[in-house]
This record gives sequence, structure tokens and C-alpha cells, in this order.
Amino acid sequence: MAEPLPEVLDRAPCGFISFTDDGKIEQVNATLLDRVGYGRDELVSHHVETLFGTGSRIFYQTHFFPLVKLRGSAQEIFMLLRTKQGDDVGMLCNAKRSERSGQMITDCVLMEVIERRRYEEALLEARQTADRANEQLEAQALELELQHQQLQEQAAEMEVQSETLQSVNDELVVLNEDLEKQRIAADEANHAKSNFLAVMSHELRTPLNAIGGYVQLLEMGVHGPISDPQRETLGRIDRSQRHLLRLINDVLNLSRIEAGRVDYAVEPVKLRELVDSVQPMCDPQAARKSIVIESAVPERLVAMADREKVQQILLNLMTNAIKFTPTGGSICIEAHAAPDSVSLRVIDNGVGIPAEMIEKVFEPFVQVDASKSRSAEGTGLGLAISRDLARGMGGNLTLESTVGQGSIFELKLPRAETAQQNERTPTA
Amino acid sequence: MLTMPLPPDVMSSDILKRNNVKVFGNGTQPMLFAHGFGCDQNMWRYVTPAFENDYRIVLFDYVGSGHSDLNAYSAERYSTLEGYANDVLDVVRALDLHDVIFVGHSVSSMIGVLAANQEPGRFAKLIMIGPSPRYINDDGYVGGFEKADIDGLFEMMDRNFIGWANFMAPAIMGNGGRPELGQELTESFCSTDPVIARRFAEATFLADNRKDLAAFNIPSLILQCSEDIVAPQAVGEYVKSNLRGSTFRVMKATGHCPHMSHPEETIELMKEYLDGRTVA
Repeated sequence: MAEPLPEVLDRAPCGFISFTDDGKIEQVNATLLDRVGYGRDELVSHHVETLFGTGSRIFYQTHFFPLVKLRGSAQEIFMLLRTKQGDDVGMLCNAKRSERSGQMITDCVLMEVIERRRYEEALLEARQTADRANEQLEAQALELELQHQQLQEQAAEMEVQSETLQSVNDELVVLNEDLEKQRIAADEANHAKSNFLAVMSHELRTPLNAIGGYVQLLEMGVHGPISDPQRETLGRIDRSQRHLLRLINDVLNLSRIEAGRVDYAVEPVKLRELVDSVQPMCDPQAARKSIVIESAVPERLVAMADREKVQQILLNLMTNAIKFTPTGGSICIEAHAAPDSVSLRVIDNGVGIPAEMIEKVFEPFVQVDASKSRSAEGTGLGLAISRDLARGMGGNLTLESTVGQGSIFELKLPRAETAQQNERTPTA
Repeated sequence: MLTMPLPPDVMSSDILKRNNVKVFGNGTQPMLFAHGFGCDQNMWRYVTPAFENDYRIVLFDYVGSGHSDLNAYSAERYSTLEGYANDVLDVVRALDLHDVIFVGHSVSSMIGVLAANQEPGRFAKLIMIGPSPRYINDDGYVGGFEKADIDGLFEMMDRNFIGWANFMAPAIMGNGGRPELGQELTESFCSTDPVIARRFAEATFLADNRKDLAAFNIPSLILQCSEDIVAPQAVGEYVKSNLRGSTFRVMKATGHCPHMSHPEETIELMKEYLDGRTVA
């Protein structure tokens, strides 16, 4: 048994306890005894673990004792002491191990921590919250990592698809290049054809004009008098020459249009004036067949077009109408207006055209009935040229027809703004 | 198994540094000392001198303890005792030890069993100081603790971590301005990182290695302290009766660290056993 503690240490405002390496309590001061509720005899010579709960006993054996034994001292170690009543008291402990009376004694000073413990609890709770949050973050990071991997896999897949698409695209580019080459070749061929036709037509017209000229000279008796049979023959030569010349002119025109070599002098064209200028040209031909031509064209309708081309088209349409209308028939010219366009309709009550032939009549060298065209001579290029010209001016030429009732050719042209539309109220 | 041996050429120096391995002594047969939970290789300093002349002494710190390389710590690897057993095997392989006398304190007794079960060929004898295959009571088994008692320990540790954490801050920040604190920290407790110590505590006190005893087949000595709160005598007797070829000695020493509190008796019993004077 160790000596009694001096009064000043016994009553110091902190706990004091000393024990051997075996844990046998040598001394304990009154302050600590008061706090833990034990009598001095209940602790002295008993094991220091008497003052510990189970957790503290393990902690003492695994941490406190090895530390003090190895280092000789320990500072600020938190220990839970268990009172005789069974309550746990938080104590902060400083310990020092030294030799006294021939054996190693560990002296401990213990201070109860109350306020500090509350802060520590809050700190602990905060740390545990932070730990949990951290674990969640780590889990989320893992999740993100997984998603990242999936995205990478998808990206790789898309890369593969992209390569496939690229190779398909490459093939398409090659095909497109081939098509472009073919298109250029076709264009070149078409141009060559048009050029050929233009040149040939020109070359053919020169000798034809010579033929015509010499026929006229013979008819005039320049080379001496001619007999009636000779005159008749010269007339046939002359008609054939004219027909051939017309044919060549039409071919030349068509090839010019197709080659894009036609210029359009677009201007406002009053339809009434235009019809009035064309109609007299047809009157003699119509009169021969006792055909009546009626026209009902309002004064105000104005087209944006090339006047000469429109005349050419209208003349062609009317000539056709007269050709295919039986003797004593009638032809009517009407005009109509739409917001953006105006149109002229040439209406006859002739033989009509079967539905399956309606589109074909606009193709070059097509006539509906070869037997009929013999009597009504023509080149078969008129409608093709007319439609190309109409389209070249931003319009169109269409046909409605019923066999036995007649045909309606409609020439549609862009509408010119009227004078009224131009006279807008000036704004300030 | 968790074992993934590293290539021998790169392994040795890394492992020796990682586990702060110390080798000394004049003998040839290796004695490998494994510290317990809450401390480091320093705890062996009272007993190793007695074996230096006859054996080759190998000391080490588990990763997360003492002066081991904290960067090598992996929460996953060290969440179970298998991870610590792999530390033992890494050291044994790095030094290419054979015929090893393994001396384990407390939880290291079971860690030794796990290591020897993996590579029984390298181990000659196991000396267990205060072993327990399971700390928490179970049906028909007395481990000495209820789960609530262990929770009390965790609470104690957590409360001390607050103080540690205060110490840790300057150490983590490179000891800016107060370089003495870092040193104080490493010297104050045997484990240097409170979070690692807490995980070691969980791996230790929540483990159940009773089944591993059955597979163990190497001669062993069980040193049982009197009045050991951590490993009560009933637990030591359980180990004895479930471990083939084991020798059971109850010590006069009390507490849980007889190699520190009663090194002479500990040395004497170990020598008796190693010299073959013990009657099993």
C-alpha cells in the first residue's frame, strides 16, 4: 500500500489516480472518488478496469497501456470512466509512467470534459455526416465513371457507324460524280445536236434560197418564154421549196430555243392590241373556209412578255385552229385574268384531239393524224416551238380537247402590274 | 483468394518499404513478429532481444500502422483480416522466408492462421498471444462481448479521433509553421491515421474466424493471460480445443499485453515451447 496522498493533491480540482503495469490501483484522490461515487477502499488495490466500461477496457488494453508503456507518457487521451451508479463520465487524461518504490507506476491526471465534449459530439456528428456524404459522393463518382464508360462505348459505336456512313457517303460521292459526268456529257451532246441543227439549217437554207430565186427568174421569163406545163412544174418546185424552207426555219428556231440562244424582250403587252394585230393575218385563210373568228378580249389585260413571240404563238395557234376546223366552223379568242397571270384561249369546234395524244402534240414533228395533215400542210414543229417560247417567258401553253367537240389552247403569261397598282398613295 | 503476388524483382523493396520491415538477429530460422490492433512493431521491443542470438528477427507494421506507407492503404483490401494476412504473406514472400515461427499478438493470431492456411508450407510454428476467433458472443459461444460493448469501443475511438484530427491537420498541411506537431502525431499513438485505426477495429472486432481454425494444421502455442478483458480464458480454451496440435499456457500475467507488461514470463514460455521443453 502506497503512502497517503498529501492533502493538497487529495483535494486538487482534478482527478488523480496511479496504478501499476498490472493495472492495480495504488492511489486515488478524493476529488476523483467524489466524482465516480466509490469509497477509497473500493478502488485501491483493485484493478483500474473497475473504473471502465467494456469499451474503455478494450481501449485501455489496446491503446492506452501500450502507449504509456512504450512512450512513458500520454497526453490528452479521452477516456470514459464508469461511476459506481453506472454512468459514463468523459475525462481527459494525461499520464506519466515512472519508477517509484521499486516498481513502475503510471500517474494519471483526469479532468472532466463537459462543454468540450458537447462540441466534440457535434464535431463527431459533423464528421460522420461528412463521411456519409463522402461515401455518397464516391458512389456517385463511381456511377458517373460507369456512365462515362458507357458514353465512351457509345461514342466508339458511333465512330464505327460514322465510318460506315462515311464509306457509304464516299460511294455516293463517286456515284454522284459519275452522274454529273453523265449529265455534262448529255448536256454537251444536246448542245452539239442544237449546234449541228443550227449550222445544218443555215447551210440548207442557202441553196434553197438559190432554188427559190432561180424559179422566180424562170417564172419571170428572164430566160425566155415558158409553156403552161413548165409554169405548173415551176409552181410545184416553188411550193416544195417554200415548204422545205419553212421546215428548216422551224427546226432552226426550235434548236435555238433549246440551245438557250433566244433572247426575250419582255415588256407590258396589251392583249387586246395584240389579238387585233394578229387576227387580220388569219382572216383571208379563214374566209376561204367560211370560218368566223370572234374575239372577246378586255382592254385592261396586260401581260409581261415579248410582243413578237406572243404574236408568233398566237398566229400559230390560230393557223392551227383554222387548219383543223371544218368549213363553216367558228373560232373564238377569249382572255382571262388570275392574280399573277393572264391567259389567251383559242377555242375551236373542230375535230378535237384524243386524250392520249394531248401531251404528244407538243412534241416536235408530231401531228395527230397524218392523213389529215396532208390536206393541212405544216411542219409539225409549231406547237413545240410555241410551248417552248411560252415557257421561256415564264408562262405555259396547255391544251384541253374533246374528240368531236373541239379544242381549247390556253396561253398563260405573267401578268403585268396595272397602272392602278403602280399608283400607290405616297407615304410621308 | 485476395492474394495477388507481385513479380519478385519489383516486389521486395516495395514491400519492405511499405510495411516498414526490419530484419536483425544472428540466427537463421526466421521469427516473424506481428503486432496487434492499436499498436505497431515497437510493442515487441521487450521480447525480441531474448531471441536475437538464436533467430533471425523480422518486424513489420501493417499498412496503416506505425511507419508503414499510408499511401498503400486501401479501404477495400483492409476491410477484412484477409487483407492483413496478405500483408504477412507479402513480407514472407519478399524475404523468401521458410520455416517461419510466426508470433502474433491479439488479432494477429487469427491473421497468422489465415496466412498459414494460404501458404502452410512456409510456416513452422505459430505463437498466439491472447487470440480470439470471435469477440462477440454467439449461440453457444462465449466471445466475451456483446455488439453493444464493441460499439462502446468504437465510440471511445471516435472520441479520441477528434483530438487526433486536431493533430492531423498541420501534419496533412505539411506541418506549415509548426513542424513539431507532425512528429508528435506519429509518436503519440501507434496507429497514425484515425480512420484507418477505426477500420482496423471493425475488421478485428466484427470478424468471425472460427471456421478457419479447422483448416489450420501447424503446431501452435496459445499464451493466455489471466484476467484478460479482451481475450477471456474461455475464448483461449475454445481456440485450444479447436486447433489441432496446439499448446495452451495460462500466464500469471494479467491484461492483454503480456509481452509488454510481463516480458520475462512471456519470453520464458515462448522459449520453453520453442526449445521443446513444453509438454503439449
